[in-house]
Amino acid sequence: MSGLGGLNRLSRLATVVRAGLRSNFGLAILKHRLFKEKKDRWLVPVFALAGLGVLPTLYGIVLLIKGAYAILAPMGQERALLTLGVLAGQLLILLFGIYYVISAFYFSRDLEFLIPLPLRPSEVMISKFAVIMINEYLTVAAIVLPVVVTYGVMAKGGIGYWVNAVLVYLALPVIPLALVSLLVVAMMRFINVSRKKDILILVGSIVLIVLALALQIGLGRTAGPQPSAQAVTAFFTSPDSLLNRVGSKFPPSIWATKAVAAGFSSEGPANLALLLGVSLAFFAGIVVMAEKLFYRGLIGLSETTGKKRRLTRDEMSRRVSSGRRAVAAVFGREWKIMNRTPIFLLNGVLVVVIVPVIFVLLANMGSGRGGSGGGGDLSAILKTMTSANPLFAILAAALFMTVCGSLNGTSSSTFSREGAQFWISRVIPVAPREQAAAKFLHSYLVAMLGVVTATVVAAIVLHLKAVHLAAAAGLALVAGVLLTVVGMIIDLARPLLNWTNPQKAIKQNFNVLLATLADIGILTAVFFGAKALIKAKLATTVVLGVVFLALAAAAALSFGILLRFADKRYPEIES
Amino acid sequence: MIELTDVSKSYNRGKVKAVDGLTLTVKPGEIFGFLGPNGAGKTTTIKMIVGLLRPDAGSVAVEGYDVAKEPLKAKQVTTYVPDYPAVYERLTGLEYLNFIGDVYGVPREARLDRIGRWLEIFELASVVTNPIQSYSHGMKQKIVLTAALLPAPRVMVLDEPLVGLDPRAAHQIKELFREHCDEGKTLFFSTHIMEVAEKLCDRIGIIHKGRLVACGTMEELKSIDRTEAGQSLEEIFLELTDK
Ligand SMILES: Nc1ncnc2c1ncn2[C@@H]1O[C@H](COP(=O)(O)OP(=O)(O)OP(=O)(O)O)[C@@H](O)[C@H]1O
Ligand SMILES: [Mg+2]
Repeated sequence: MSGLGGLNRLSRLATVVRAGLRSNFGLAILKHRLFKEKKDRWLVPVFALAGLGVLPTLYGIVLLIKGAYAILAPMGQERALLTLGVLAGQLLILLFGIYYVISAFYFSRDLEFLIPLPLRPSEVMISKFAVIMINEYLTVAAIVLPVVVTYGVMAKGGIGYWVNAVLVYLALPVIPLALVSLLVVAMMRFINVSRKKDILILVGSIVLIVLALALQIGLGRTAGPQPSAQAVTAFFTSPDSLLNRVGSKFPPSIWATKAVAAGFSSEGPANLALLLGVSLAFFAGIVVMAEKLFYRGLIGLSETTGKKRRLTRDEMSRRVSSGRRAVAAVFGREWKIMNRTPIFLLNGVLVVVIVPVIFVLLANMGSGRGGSGGGGDLSAILKTMTSANPLFAILAAALFMTVCGSLNGTSSSTFSREGAQFWISRVIPVAPREQAAAKFLHSYLVAMLGVVTATVVAAIVLHLKAVHLAAAAGLALVAGVLLTVVGMIIDLARPLLNWTNPQKAIKQNFNVLLATLADIGILTAVFFGAKALIKAKLATTVVLGVVFLALAAAAALSFGILLRFADKRYPEIES
Repeated sequence: MIELTDVSKSYNRGKVKAVDGLTLTVKPGEIFGFLGPNGAGKTTTIKMIVGLLRPDAGSVAVEGYDVAKEPLKAKQVTTYVPDYPAVYERLTGLEYLNFIGDVYGVPREARLDRIGRWLEIFELASVVTNPIQSYSHGMKQKIVLTAALLPAPRVMVLDEPLVGLDPRAAHQIKELFREHCDEGKTLFFSTHIMEVAEKLCDRIGIIHKGRLVACGTMEELKSIDRTEAGQSLEEIFLELTDK
């Protein structure tokens, strides 16, 4: 009886998980559109092209890893590379996990349909967990895969290496995600009691992110006095000392390293078993917790508290606006909706402020006392790299500012975010080009916020001269116009309007991904252009001037295209 | 004034013909009721009037402005209430009304006046500063109605506006409709409630499978050959839309 019940429950769980995955990734729909309806076929070459655009960046990363391997291997420290890769991956999982967990556990609308079904809380949560895991695999692939693959090739890893690498990769997100889930579910349990939920959720997420960062810094800095020369020699002559030191604060990364590096031999299987076992235990832990806490944090979350209160004549008169221009009205609407929807805020204003700050922390990590360990003084490396040639420093800083300001989903989800409310934009007597202009102002304001924060960060980390900093910021500001417009055009071409979960409009929006790839492509093109100019031995000011003018011309041109495209597209989008 | 001339629209590349050669004129000062079974093409027609859908053939004009050629002028004189009140959940009711007032260019005094009055009538005055998210379905419906009334448009187009409203609100709405049209303005709405159409509308159109099968005043509808004298609108409707 109980055996049969267990089997039933398992198949029911599989169904829930499958439904969750299907509704989140919609591969079936994509497949249908690509092959049956032959609709979005043009996407295939676009993606191929975009993929090519990323190749140079990837190649650079691989070169970097190879270089590090060549330096570390003679000292018997090469395994530390794996540990670093794994740790970086897990940190990323932790950071993104906070977004993912909060939005999947608490802000996805399908919960309203799932909860009334005869499912256990843990089953609902596991289905959400699976969705997040897949998201995490995709997210960390960019960091972990290059490291593991390059290492494997350099170290001539056998079958054991590759098999264990795959297993470790699959298990990688479980522990950090379980930790995050525990924290988040516990946090929500208490937040739910309170009235100002949206604000608290935001504050809570920021606190969690800061905690994760503090952990990171804790890992980077090992306390203790400046090591003597002897100590350093001793350190480097005992194999894997670096690995143990780097991973000491988070043992799973050591187990992962040893499991992968040793493959099927010596300490490999034991460490693999340890990693998988602990992961499983954590997973069991959150299942138990889900039963106890999950729904209690959930129920009543969509309820907003507002006091019922009549406005007096005076108050009413003050609150009724006295006729703003249409552009200002649309801008105000964009701004309010973006900042009041937690998922949108997390991916917009918060990202552009937090990313540069994270960068400061990363750059300072390992500097000072603990720096002797891995030579990881990123800040110092940056300084030497940039002090050689101010032109190089300016371009690098500009790139950094552009990335901080523009590589977020604000512009490339600007039409998609309207969702089911797009009909309002279609019926109001405001020309599509004016609406697009208002949306541009909003997206660009977010980008500018990022550029400003990044400028402050660059001033702290890179110690650039004020003139150079200003030049970099100027470049970033024109590049920002171009990237913002490109993102908007991509989103306008096929806005995703039929979502019910705001997560879909921004985090899982194809257009955001597409725009990111396009942005990388544009920046790569600018990079090669600048490189050619530098090779031609032109003066610094000339190079900067040419890059600036080229960007400005492209920005102006694309802005004109955007306005026309809006006039053409709005009437076509049937809603 | 609304003029539909030989308008057709199909979905899925012609597989589903939703509206088929529809010609119809609604004169100023008229309340026009649009009836038809589920899937007859009412919503499709309404969306073409307000410019949300583009007709495959034919033309639509509002107050003499062709909806396709002079969309902004047409939109300036029209407001629309959809069948489902999808509005900005994160804005407060008042913010939404302000937004609508701004984009339609409603002067401040008129705005204060009308907002105060409709909020009172719809019993929304005590919740306007709360996010729309916290409204019930009917309250959302009412805020959309208030927004549609706010610009005092020449033409109002509403898709099943009475669904989900309590009897008092429904009664108020009907009074407002009458008042609106007494000022020489035009009102076009779809409904499934025969009684409302019979009592409220100056003229009634019945659409069935995308075609207009009857159109006229109650008297005119009653005098269609096939029908016997003294029939109710319900009986006429059932007869015309049978098969
Ligand atoms: N987005 C769409 N895609 C495909 N077909 C559609 C779409 N919208 C409507 N249809 C089809 O067009 C026809 C007319 O639909 P419409 O929504 O206009 O009917 P309706 O008269 O408003 O019905 P109801 O009384 O149920 O609201 C139906 O056959 C419907 O299936
Ligand atoms: Mg309808």
